[in-house]
Amino acid sequence: MRMFDYILRRLISSLLVILIIAVTLFLIFYMFPSNPAQLSCGKPCSPEQLRRVSAFMGTDQPWYAQLGAYLLGIFAGRTFGTGASAVVCAAPCLGYSFRLNEPVTTLIAERFPVTASIAVGAAVLWIIIGVGTGVLAAVKRNTWVDRLLMALSAIGISSPSYLIGLLAIIVFAFELPVFPSGGYVPFSRNPAGWFSHLLLPWLVLALINAASYTRITRTQMIGEMEQDYIRTERSKGAPESVVVGRHALRNALLPVMTMFGLDLGSLLGGAVLTERVFSMQGLGMLLLDSVTNLDLQVLVGSTLFAAALVIVANLVVDICYSFLDPRVTVGR
Amino acid sequence: MSHLLRRHPTHSRRPRSRFASPSILWGGGIVLFFVLLALFAGPLTALTGNDPYSEHRSLLGPRSVPLGFGGGISPSHWFGVTPLRGVDLFSIIAYGTRVSLGIGLASTLISVVIGVAIGLIAGYFPGVTDAILSRTMDVFFGFPFLIFAIALSAIVPDSFPRPLLLILVLGFFGWPSIARLIRGQTLTLTHRGYTSAAQVMGASSTHILLNEIMPGLLPLLIVRLTLSIPGRIAAEASLSFLGVGINPPTPSWGRTISDAVAWALVDPMYLIFPGLALFLVTFGFNLLGDGLSDALDPKAVIRAEMTETAETSKTTATESSTRNSAPAVVQQGGNR
Amino acid sequence: MAFHYFFAHRLHGKRGSVRHASVALATLFAATALVLSGCGSRTSQTGIGASPSSSPNTSASATPMKGGTLTVLTSQSSLSLDPATSQSLPTTTTGLVHRRLTTWKISHGKTTVVPDLATTTGTPSDHGAVWTFHLKKGLRFSNGKPITSQDVKWGIERSFSDTFTGGLSYHKQLLAGAANYHGPFSGQQLNSIETPNDSTIIFHLNSPFGAWPWVASLISFAPVPRGDGTQKSYGNHPVTSGPYQVQSNSPGRELVLTRNPYWKASTDSVRKAYPNRIVYRMGQDDTVAAQQIMQGVNGGDTSILGEFVPPAQLAQAQANPQYSQLLVTSGDGALEYIAINTRHIRNLAVRQAILWATDRAGYRTAAGGAIAGNYATTLITPGIAGRQKYDLYHVPTGGDPARARAILKRAHVTVPTLKMVIQQNKTEQASAIQSSLKKAGINVRIQVLDSGVYSDTVTNNQGNYDLTIASWQPDFPDAYANLAPLFSSSMIGNGNQNMSRYSNRAVDALMTQATQTVDQKAAGKLWAQADQRIMHDIPVVPLIYSHNTFIHGSRVAGFDIGNFPAYPDYLTMGLTRD
Repeated sequence: MRMFDYILRRLISSLLVILIIAVTLFLIFYMFPSNPAQLSCGKPCSPEQLRRVSAFMGTDQPWYAQLGAYLLGIFAGRTFGTGASAVVCAAPCLGYSFRLNEPVTTLIAERFPVTASIAVGAAVLWIIIGVGTGVLAAVKRNTWVDRLLMALSAIGISSPSYLIGLLAIIVFAFELPVFPSGGYVPFSRNPAGWFSHLLLPWLVLALINAASYTRITRTQMIGEMEQDYIRTERSKGAPESVVVGRHALRNALLPVMTMFGLDLGSLLGGAVLTERVFSMQGLGMLLLDSVTNLDLQVLVGSTLFAAALVIVANLVVDICYSFLDPRVTVGR
Repeated sequence: MSHLLRRHPTHSRRPRSRFASPSILWGGGIVLFFVLLALFAGPLTALTGNDPYSEHRSLLGPRSVPLGFGGGISPSHWFGVTPLRGVDLFSIIAYGTRVSLGIGLASTLISVVIGVAIGLIAGYFPGVTDAILSRTMDVFFGFPFLIFAIALSAIVPDSFPRPLLLILVLGFFGWPSIARLIRGQTLTLTHRGYTSAAQVMGASSTHILLNEIMPGLLPLLIVRLTLSIPGRIAAEASLSFLGVGINPPTPSWGRTISDAVAWALVDPMYLIFPGLALFLVTFGFNLLGDGLSDALDPKAVIRAEMTETAETSKTTATESSTRNSAPAVVQQGGNR
Repeated sequence: MAFHYFFAHRLHGKRGSVRHASVALATLFAATALVLSGCGSRTSQTGIGASPSSSPNTSASATPMKGGTLTVLTSQSSLSLDPATSQSLPTTTTGLVHRRLTTWKISHGKTTVVPDLATTTGTPSDHGAVWTFHLKKGLRFSNGKPITSQDVKWGIERSFSDTFTGGLSYHKQLLAGAANYHGPFSGQQLNSIETPNDSTIIFHLNSPFGAWPWVASLISFAPVPRGDGTQKSYGNHPVTSGPYQVQSNSPGRELVLTRNPYWKASTDSVRKAYPNRIVYRMGQDDTVAAQQIMQGVNGGDTSILGEFVPPAQLAQAQANPQYSQLLVTSGDGALEYIAINTRHIRNLAVRQAILWATDRAGYRTAAGGAIAGNYATTLITPGIAGRQKYDLYHVPTGGDPARARAILKRAHVTVPTLKMVIQQNKTEQASAIQSSLKKAGINVRIQVLDSGVYSDTVTNNQGNYDLTIASWQPDFPDAYANLAPLFSSSMIGNGNQNMSRYSNRAVDALMTQATQTVDQKAAGKLWAQADQRIMHDIPVVPLIYSHNTFIHGSRVAGFDIGNFPAYPDYLTMGLTRD
């Protein structure tokens, strides 16, 4: 099957991409004039102790050896240290955090639901709002509706996004306390709490993102609607809703799809801004904390996970492309 | 060649008033205002004898919060002074314009040049070229920009000018989204009849890319560009906190806004002035971009191109056939 | 959407360095964090909080009740409860769950070391090179098992294992024969710790060490059931000896402590254990959390903030009579100073010029106002035994740039542009220093670093910087913990905090002599001598003794900061009835 071949080929090349990212990360940290062991050496720290910690964490090895051990760990698992106190990290081992004392896979598994809840909910909202207003603006081109929508989206795009988040908290959590100011409640524990805690972040994130979707959808729609094939359709007597909905929208959505796939993919890897502002401990915060604390294994593990999501999103986008645009077929 | 010659009349046929739309006038006006502010920051602040470095501690209360109305607004300090050190806020904003605009424009330019070149090539040349370039884009998409930025701050000698570093970092990491968009559009445009026509006519790839496809991409590119500049300006802000940003004391809107966020409830004007500046310059670019894209009129451009192509080469398909039955065009799209 | 990262990071960056403060107050990170934003009004100025009256309910009108759930909001992202890897103070989080041989009795006069698991604070022999402790009777772990001297020994031995590092290591350099000891997991014991019976433990040190009772109060001296704690994740759910045990722990997100049924108040003289439950919420935005506490929304009334109040919220709270009731400010706490890298700036005249040019008043204003702390002249901080107040140079608080210029001129030196590395939260202070040095013709280039990178840069072996702004609060109230980590030549690089890279044999010898003097009065004199001797070389410019301001919810009582540490005592906090 062509499609199957294609996906397989893409998956293989994706693995290559991930490998390149991993190599680069290790290289960067090798060039980095620092030893993460220093941060977990204790206080005060003797050179002997530092040497031991480095050996235990494996940071005394050259970068390629560290990389090799890391990559091998993904398939075969890893053991740090020896004897009764050895740390065992079972395959697939994306590393072990010496700061949080958990395998990276556990950390990711704990935090992914948080990020996914934020990202998917917001994405649904912003694609609906963005595409809806974009189409409306295009259809009502040069009317007051169009102008209003474009003005709103220009304002939306021009507003510094972190300000909106904080302002939303100030207004809706402190001034007229209708929403909680932050925190994440697992769906399994309390669905209503999950929803009420997520509503504000969803809205903020959706409004920030929707504005650019409005614009791109409008531009694309206008472009498509003036294509001759659309006029042909119209002249054939196709109802306007069909012309707009089936033909114009379908083609206009291609670049929107690209953008959406990438945005959602990267957001799933960590909605850092939103997680930070709303005090939700998702993947984004995990990544940020690992950076500030030089927690290399968490850094690499969560980065690779995030990168994989982006790449998968890319792949999905490309496959969808082939369904949406009949001219772009796969595998030929 | 004939295309080149013939397209000029197309442009001139367009009524001048298109470029005099309110969006362009207002947007252009706002952008121009900030450009002037950047250029004349020195003389303007000299009017009140201020600069963005001097501390005015006497204007601060015992809790280091500016005394007086609106964060210490006075004839000599138009926008008041900052908390903690009492630096003139207008000076910071005026001088900060240079950094913000400079970095925004320069890095966008770099991204656009790289992005367009790679996107065009990837979209136009199927097979290996496209595959390699697309995978490169994937690497950049998946790459943790943040980490790279922090790592750079430690690796690059601190004598290397930070603004330049920032431009390079933002420019170099900003291209893939543009490239990807351009690639997608190139794919679509390539399959419209007129390029095939040119191909059939024996035009060189470079010629087709630059003269056939490029103009069709322009409107999208302009939208993208206007969206991009303000993003970069805001990114500079956040990067200033990563150590690869502008180091103090060089004034920067970004650093100022970031500092001021925590003060929002105590000294709101400290946040409002730079926030407004950032909003306005972004808004200006967006308006300008909207106006320009309307004026350039994407469909008009595309239609003109297609008509021309159809006219010059009566050989191949009409646009409707390009659309609905895609047989003539070989589909390299999926084969990345 | 890399831009998501940017924005977040800045919000985050504000707090980057504070994160360690609440548990590991005096770690390097905290030391640098300590000052950070949290500078506030002196107690007398707000009229509340750590007032000289020593009753525990100074922070609120009511006495804490038994029961309720106290919430700690913290921007930290990790919180270690493993005695081997934690650097926490005895009076904060780990004090709630772990008892040690000795502990601290917080007061407004002088914080003292008092027996905890042990019956005394230790009996020295062999001139202070051998210390003996006896355990109290009837002590039990949270799993019901009795606590024996072997458990204490096991806990200390664990800290030598290569798996469990990162904790306070003072004992590792003091215990005899410990240099090649790698922990108990491969069957070896540390012979310098004797346990002749279940209730006796004897320590043999390399050399006499007078401050050993203080060392025995540190987290490393908490018992771990013999044979237990082999796993790295032990600290997530440790067996506890204090009034609380871990009910649930999701590292980096939430920790829930509930009562330990086996803890007996009768054996414990310092822990009040008022709340039934204590919940830690991690990774909070400190400005949002402070706001939440002030307004009492979202459970803010029963919460405390684990970090210093950010400067803006501090100003906001001070301006509001209702909110200012919720603030508590410490007395003189950490020493904030400019560390001058003496390996780069070898010329004493240049260091003198920097000292004279530094505008401490400008620094203090940038740190939050005239009330951020008191001007510092000594290296040993106020409240530490043996400290002698002195001012070698009598530099005016605003600096004297003219004199600095004169010094440089006389010495015929031109100073190249100096590189100052700082953390993000020090931007304003660093800018103030920068502009004051400029007046003396000394140019400074500021480089802002993220907290992890910063810690590494200033403590690694390369030392690629000329100046940095740091702050230091000792891990225990003894001049040893004040001076040795910052000025001993053995503390340069390798992750240690001698950021001025100061090395002076005479000072090293003096500090060794002081360390080995068991008589605390005599030792104090030697430390005071070392203090002045160091300042003759000007490896640092003392700026201020910082005052830390904290905030608690309106229903939190017993929120108290003693003379040392400049941090609230978690052991005596509780809630009031509604």
